[in-house]
Amino acid sequence: MIGALSIARRETSALFNTPVGWIALTAFTFIGGFFFTALLIGYLGAYQDSVLNPMQADQLSVNEWLIQPLFSNLGLIALFILPAVTMRLIAEDRRQRSIELLLTSPIGSFQIALGKFLGGMGFALVMAATTLPYTWFLYATGDPDTGVVLSNYLGFILLCATIVAMGTFCSAMTENQIVAFMMAFAGGLFLWISNWVVQGMEDSPIKTSIDYLSMLKHADSMGKGLIHTQDVVYFLSFIGFFLFATSQRVEALRWR
Amino acid sequence: MIEVQGLTKSYGDMLALSDVSFTVQKGEVVGFLGQNGAGKSTTMRIIAGSLGASAGIARVGGFDVAENPQKVQSILGYAPETPPLYTNMTVGDYVRFAATIKGVADVDAATKKALGRVGLDGVAHRIIDNLSKGYRQRVGLAQALVHDPKVLVLDEPTSGLDPAQRIEIKNLIQELSAGDDRTVMLSTHVLTEIEAICNRVIIIHKGRIVAQSDLASLAGGAEKKVHVELARPEGAMAALQKVPGVTHVEHDGSRLVVTGERDVREAVAAASIPFGLLSLQGQRLEDTYIQLTTGVTA
Repeated sequence: MIGALSIARRETSALFNTPVGWIALTAFTFIGGFFFTALLIGYLGAYQDSVLNPMQADQLSVNEWLIQPLFSNLGLIALFILPAVTMRLIAEDRRQRSIELLLTSPIGSFQIALGKFLGGMGFALVMAATTLPYTWFLYATGDPDTGVVLSNYLGFILLCATIVAMGTFCSAMTENQIVAFMMAFAGGLFLWISNWVVQGMEDSPIKTSIDYLSMLKHADSMGKGLIHTQDVVYFLSFIGFFLFATSQRVEALRWR
Repeated sequence: MIEVQGLTKSYGDMLALSDVSFTVQKGEVVGFLGQNGAGKSTTMRIIAGSLGASAGIARVGGFDVAENPQKVQSILGYAPETPPLYTNMTVGDYVRFAATIKGVADVDAATKKALGRVGLDGVAHRIIDNLSKGYRQRVGLAQALVHDPKVLVLDEPTSGLDPAQRIEIKNLIQELSAGDDRTVMLSTHVLTEIEAICNRVIIIHKGRIVAQSDLASLAGGAEKKVHVELARPEGAMAALQKVPGVTHVEHDGSRLVVTGERDVREAVAAASIPFGLLSLQGQRLEDTYIQLTTGVTA
């Protein structure tokens, strides 16, 4: 475990020692801030309308108008940005041969996979932390439902973890970082929108299963403040699967 | 300490190693010799556990590398030909990282010791990317040494270095192998290095072991040849045959070639035969190596 943690620490600090991490973080905060501002303006407009229309005032909730759409949008940004961060995790080691240090150290393939994943998560958590000012702002100016805020954070972090786990796996598949990026991005996008395809379909086992695959669907229910076991299990099973696949892939690197 | 049995490795259709077997005893310093592409790196990577064999067994310290890689890796230090560096880290951070993932108990002390051993104290704060090739090679060695392994496997530790750096690394390896019961296996194609450092040599050619023996017997052979140039070789033949230790005398143009069971120059000189020039033609490691790997007698 010490091996995995020190790999994780090295990865996260390597990200912030290069421009990649900072540029990714800047992009996330910039676009995230843009969305937050836009949502806030929309909310304020609706609030002003509601002064004249009491019926509308009842429906005006910070949860629905601000928190939920904000995290939904942040998830989409993460979908673009995290693959760019995770693409180097293992691919770069393979290209510059530093993977040999890991492979010949007494830590085993799973610890390598876990360490790389946690290294990517270190970045994702810093990224999540940059949203704290928005939350602070909501508490300072209003009275948001803490349960909803926390379940949104949980959903966002699980979503990030899933993308990072998939990105780590993609990074282990190739020495080419661009290829790793595109694989992870395509995979993430597919999981994001897979339920769009079946929206018009009649109920059937196929629809249910494709629907179930969609990250958006599971993240959305958390966005509403509902933490269902099945949603948590959905994310955890993806994370577990990709961690396992990554460790198998690292093991396979020894056999080439 | 290192025991390799019937090791075979194929990359697709290409057979890189074929039934390679050898043993390296505890405390030995063994040179692993072969041309580029002979299978040196492949063998060493299998021993270090970063590559799997297609068939055969490699054991280090009694542990099977394939079954117990972590046991092996905790007592083995491996420096690949291209040092496995994170070039945007500082030397100190890198070695500290290596110490941590190798499970060293006192990371700071081990890092300090390893840096001192390879002469990197002064550059611990520098970014690896900015170092010369010689220094990088040393960082690669520091990584291999940091957990004070009983077995060191070094793949071409002097490749790409200038002569001064070569000598430094060579001295370093001699230091590392002296004294303690550390087992060292190093590959190179620089024969003088093997002659200077190793007490035994294993020669691999096209994936097969073609020779393995003590350096002395491989290089010198049991017999020594002495070339004697004489003004009048006719009468000297009989006299030379009587010299103690001489087993055979034959004509070679104007010279006589005297074969003895040891270096017989002194005996020949003492026999007061009027010779012009006396030279020892011992068989050198180079001759043996060329002969084994190209089939041409030097």
